[in-house]
Amino acid sequence: MSMATRLFLSNDTSARAAGAGPVADAWSDRPEVQLIRTSSRGAFFLEPMVERDSPDGRLAWFNVTPQDLPLILSGTGGTPVRSIPFLAQQTRFTFADFGETEPLALDEYQARGGLQGLETALRRTPDAIIEELRVSQLRGRGGAAFPVWNKWKVAQQAKADEKYVVANADEGDAGTYCDRMILEGDPFRLLEGMLICARAIGANRGYVYCRQEYPAAAATLRAAIHKADEAELLDLDGEFFPIEVVEGAGSYVCGEETALLESLEGKRGVVRARPPYPAQAGLFGRPTIVSNVLTFATIPNILSRGGAWHAALGTEQSRGTMALQLGGRVKQPGLVEVSFGLSLRQVLDQFGGGMAPGARFKAVQVGGPLGSLFPASQLDIPICYEAFAEAGAVLGHGGIVVYDHQTDMVDLARHFMAFTAHESCGKCTPCRIGSVRGREILERIQAGSGTVDDLVLLADLGETMKVASLCALGGRAPYPVLTAIEHFPAEFRNRLRT
Amino acid sequence: MQKQVNEILAQARSEPPNILQALLVLQEKLGHVPLEAVPEIAHTLGTTTAQVAGVLSYYPDLRVTAPGRHLIRICMGESCFANGCGRLLREVQDRLRIDMGETAAGGKVTLDTMSCAGNCAVSPTVIIDRDLYGRVLPSQLDAMLERYK
Repeated sequence: MSMATRLFLSNDTSARAAGAGPVADAWSDRPEVQLIRTSSRGAFFLEPMVERDSPDGRLAWFNVTPQDLPLILSGTGGTPVRSIPFLAQQTRFTFADFGETEPLALDEYQARGGLQGLETALRRTPDAIIEELRVSQLRGRGGAAFPVWNKWKVAQQAKADEKYVVANADEGDAGTYCDRMILEGDPFRLLEGMLICARAIGANRGYVYCRQEYPAAAATLRAAIHKADEAELLDLDGEFFPIEVVEGAGSYVCGEETALLESLEGKRGVVRARPPYPAQAGLFGRPTIVSNVLTFATIPNILSRGGAWHAALGTEQSRGTMALQLGGRVKQPGLVEVSFGLSLRQVLDQFGGGMAPGARFKAVQVGGPLGSLFPASQLDIPICYEAFAEAGAVLGHGGIVVYDHQTDMVDLARHFMAFTAHESCGKCTPCRIGSVRGREILERIQAGSGTVDDLVLLADLGETMKVASLCALGGRAPYPVLTAIEHFPAEFRNRLRT
Repeated sequence: MQKQVNEILAQARSEPPNILQALLVLQEKLGHVPLEAVPEIAHTLGTTTAQVAGVLSYYPDLRVTAPGRHLIRICMGESCFANGCGRLLREVQDRLRIDMGETAAGGKVTLDTMSCAGNCAVSPTVIIDRDLYGRVLPSQLDAMLERYK
């Protein structure tokens, strides 16, 4: 009998949702198959995707069902992974190994260059690590886009008995999933980034605040921490650096850094007024670096390749690559890691592959539920922080959701305001009251009893929320609503009482 | 009740006491956090009933009533919205004759929504208990719900 053929199948939550589970179940007892469960390449429109090694690198079969096994074992009909346009046109660094490796195989992680960033950091002084980050011009990838080195410098210089590193794994922006992919698919990259940060600021303890909606992510990460501990990686200058996974309880605003810290302390996830910033006084009042998962996962490459390498990618104010996450009514939803600077249109055409069958483009939303809507006429905007800031929009965490011709913009606007009304933490009045009034106005318009005055009131309310809210939830909530009205005014006017 | 609550909390002790994590442990063991247990929880954690009640009422995932035997969650995230989660929700409501947040007669199922499951590239998403389904079509609902009878 010949040796079993090694077949690779993703174990990512979305790959399983697409049907990887039944494929794995059906093949698990087949002696001719050795099934290896990997992370996902993020080409989710092709999942479940099965791969095997060949002289041309990996060969892939798309949208596989259990019945496809004979075909795959015979080696016919496979596509070389490197010739899949969706993947070949990307600039992958943080996600380079996705789809290749087993998430918890530490030896594989290391064999592909993992831990080199940490080794570099351990050889350097904290000042030199922070200098490398400054040169890299890395900005936080969670949404606020604050220069990472700056936060680290503040925390490093703060005097305290304890300091903390907190990874924000509360990826609540609807339409985003790159953090989930990292947590489930490459957890050592996150841990390595956190350890580098801990070494730079002199932290004693790390936390990963993981949303309850990601059970597989939390389980994988806990297993990874256990493995890292066994391999004695959680050791900084002879001191044990414990990292703990703490799960949330379904509150969106806990993705905001100060609300997250309140929640980590076990309290209501209510936003704190800043300053002081967490880097000065964060968890239990101690200096704390809170960064998003993708940000930490970007750091190992910066240390191993150098800050100048990172700064050479992207645009003037946006260096490096961004993980864009395509969703909604595009033909090819999935993860797209590219250097900053491509236009929104390029991303939708080149990677999104146009619209899903039967769908016609209406609008695209960038930056999660608080992100602005763009109509077809505004797709030439480059994807970078400066262009989005100029347009009064945000890149946020890189979520891109496409809406088709069937979308009712009034209903969508109501959906956004209802979301904020539901998720507002209640600390500041503009958000707590404003979002409820905004939802009520939109419900009135939707029911056909709204007036022109309601649209004026909504615009007024939006401006108040923008300037007076304590955090980005209230401050950004009006943007999708007001851009919906701006670009599709007739839909709102036609619903008004005459 | 009091004894049971104390036993569970004794296993979840932390320094300083963490109200949210204590409530999550209680919910994991009991299925929900009974309101009548709040004074006992506060006493055990060395805090006030107001603090505990505040945390309990704040988080969407904490329940004060027992959920049904099965929990159905429909994702309402933007990608799911673009891909028809509104219709899915209406169809599930019609089939089960319950509204969002309600439990069907006999305690069989509870219906809830969620703001995003992070499954946006394979949307729309329905989660039943620990099983996550993607690319869900209304025509698949009957067979899907049948599995959780």
